[in-house]
Amino acid sequence: MIRRRLDLVAPPLATFAATTLLAELAIRAMRVSPLLLPAPSAVARAAWTQSALLLPAFASTTRCTLVGLAASALLGILAAIGLASSRLVERAFYPYAIFFQIVPIVAVAPLLVIWFGYGPRAVVAAAFIVSVFPVIANTLAGLRSVDPALRDLFRLYGAGPWARLVKLELPWALPFVLTGLRVAAGLAVIGAIVGEFVGGGGLGVVVLGAMREQRTDLVFAAVGYASLLGLSLFALVNLASRLALRRWHASEEGG
Amino acid sequence: MRRVAALGALLAAVSLCACGGSRDGKLALALNWKPEPEFGGLYEALRTGAFASRGLPVEVTGGPGAPVVQMVESGQVAFGVAAADEVVLARDRGTDVVAVFATYQTNPQGIMVHAARKLSSLADLFAAGGTLAVEPGLPYVKWLEKRFDLSRMKIVPYGYSIAPFLLDPMLAQQVFITAEPIQARRQGADPQVFLIADSGFDPYAAVYITSGKQLREEPARVAAFAAALRDGWRGYLDDPAPANAKMGELNREMDAETFRLAAAAQQPLVETDFAKQHGLGAMSLDRWSELGRQLRELGLVDHEPDAASCFADTGALAGGASRP
Amino acid sequence: MAAPRAETAPTGIAVDLRGVRRTFASDGDRVEAVGGVDLSIAAGEFVALLGPSGCGKSTLLRIIAGLDHQDAGEVLLEGRPADARVDAGERVAFVFQDAHLLPWRDVLGNVTLPLELLGRPAAESRDEAMAGIARVGLADAARRFPSQLSGGMRMRVSLARALVTRPRLLLLDEPFAALDEITRQSLDDQLRALWAGTGVTVLFVTHSTAEAAFLAERAVVFSPRPARVVLEHALDLPADRGAELRAEPRFAHEAAVLFAALQRPER
Repeated sequence: MIRRRLDLVAPPLATFAATTLLAELAIRAMRVSPLLLPAPSAVARAAWTQSALLLPAFASTTRCTLVGLAASALLGILAAIGLASSRLVERAFYPYAIFFQIVPIVAVAPLLVIWFGYGPRAVVAAAFIVSVFPVIANTLAGLRSVDPALRDLFRLYGAGPWARLVKLELPWALPFVLTGLRVAAGLAVIGAIVGEFVGGGGLGVVVLGAMREQRTDLVFAAVGYASLLGLSLFALVNLASRLALRRWHASEEGG
Repeated sequence: MRRVAALGALLAAVSLCACGGSRDGKLALALNWKPEPEFGGLYEALRTGAFASRGLPVEVTGGPGAPVVQMVESGQVAFGVAAADEVVLARDRGTDVVAVFATYQTNPQGIMVHAARKLSSLADLFAAGGTLAVEPGLPYVKWLEKRFDLSRMKIVPYGYSIAPFLLDPMLAQQVFITAEPIQARRQGADPQVFLIADSGFDPYAAVYITSGKQLREEPARVAAFAAALRDGWRGYLDDPAPANAKMGELNREMDAETFRLAAAAQQPLVETDFAKQHGLGAMSLDRWSELGRQLRELGLVDHEPDAASCFADTGALAGGASRP
Repeated sequence: MAAPRAETAPTGIAVDLRGVRRTFASDGDRVEAVGGVDLSIAAGEFVALLGPSGCGKSTLLRIIAGLDHQDAGEVLLEGRPADARVDAGERVAFVFQDAHLLPWRDVLGNVTLPLELLGRPAAESRDEAMAGIARVGLADAARRFPSQLSGGMRMRVSLARALVTRPRLLLLDEPFAALDEITRQSLDDQLRALWAGTGVTVLFVTHSTAEAAFLAERAVVFSPRPARVVLEHALDLPADRGAELRAEPRFAHEAAVLFAALQRPER
């Protein structure tokens, strides 16, 4: 079991280490200006010396991202259930769901701040707007793909809409929901940081300040933390997927 | 928001080669904002051919969010406009850019509040509380944090829109004296502005910079450039209308009346006693030294900068005396 | 030729079809699937519905199950119109061509499902389900998940699920078609034994003449689409049918009768 974990984790770690080392050597050799591209060692040093600034910012961004993602999951699934209820409803309302996908968050963020005020609420709203559509789209696809024979089976035994939803449609759609969440997780981080550019707080403000102070190494350090957040959320969804689907879905079988 | 665009532009700047700042024989000049009275002298110089007559084919580029310092350093542009503190910071990070002309002798940045709050100073404001919208990382914010107790303020990013200010009577925001207060008044608000310079932090602003390399290799060109700017500013201060009209064509977001008001507001900051004595755009070692000291105190630079290397006395470069 | 039934008295229901027609309209085309079918099935009878692929026999079966409706004609269960489906779920069971189990439930959970949907108490449902699972010989696998079962085992679970409500009419739509010959014959044997033990009416759709001959008391042969009855043939074979029956000449003879009817499109 330990061997398997190593097999999974070693290759990407090795690639990361090799790339970082290569970058460090190349940047030093070519004497690239630290304003343009800081060496990995400089980024690490900035992350260390500025941890009093970065860690609370990381915590703040994480909090807002999680709340926004949770809202996307809950409201996204509910919206998909509503859209799946009838073709007419889907045709009438699906275009508005697509709106969430295409609206440029950078342009909308200032509006969010006007509506929700400066602070976490606007940031959560931004994270939500950016991440809800994949949940809706994937969940809807899952609900629409339910095996027709199973629908017949439920109809044969006189199952009502609630029983159908809870015992058939939602379990069937679960793998799709998790796929949607995988995508939504990374987007939620982006949404939160863009929200922070305008609404304040978290890693977004650290990035802005570091840019203004021409501390490109700090910019990269903040971006590194943001990437860490995105990766962690992704891993979390994968873990949830493995636990939930382990015994029955092809995507997690053999695991 | 300009910093968001700067992030993207930074990545673009990484991949550019140093090409002496000239493209097709033009001398590129990067602005850090849209055409406004802030650059009045520049556009007047362009309009009257002050550059052309000195053999300088200047071409204006850049805009809000442009990473001017990086663009000058990489050679993508020959000249650029930046804030004085950006120059000191850049030099501290190992970037060889030098200031050659300072538009504003007095720093035009300030904090704008609603006059109805009846505040008489920044100290009053910070004691009263409310929201403060400022660009993250601005040195003068750090200065304010050091001089005053800002714990009662909710500090939020400034998004270059006065809409939050108009909506919230308890909101204070950073301003450029030629810009936001005028906008606010025209939208029916009654703003009151406290200049940062009055609280002891007074860097030059709208400073024209070039790379150390260009300064060493083409001193005559740099001197000519500064001289042309001086002519342009003289002309603009005497009569801003023609250059304003030109800039109004390029910047359709501001109307003629705003141009007029802004030009009037900035006049005393551009032509101070020092400028009258030493020439428009001239700079002094004392001011640069003080700025270096202040930035060091604020922890924004690691070493005390060599003030003399931050700027060039272009009068001396040309070998001529300063203007009377 | 009907020999005495097995232990229990027939609990199955009689099915009557009178002039049943069904037409599908899709993209402007009108396809007649069922072209006027008259059929009477006695309570407890095992009837094979035989016909070429696509002839409409599956549609007919779905109409009887209440999963589809007829455009003309009557479908009567125990003399009452099939539209009065108040307790349909308690009387009728359906086995599909594939097992169609819920992959997130184990075998026990799958077999319990019909009782759950009908609102039966949980403990009682569990016991019934376990008994049904044992009857198809899968007692050891009750906790396994469908992905851990072979095709034949999954089909047996599907059978157990169908029988758990003690239906009085069992409809099967080519249930064993996707399985290999050995598993198929084994399941045929088991199905016949289950029928004999419960007395349920069975309608078994297939396009295999050998399977029809082995399983049924009576075979109904349909024409190609639109489905009409071409032949009704009582199978002249003993009530007790062991695996060795397939090797006997009389079996081949009966299968040949059915095969001939399949090839001859109209009476």
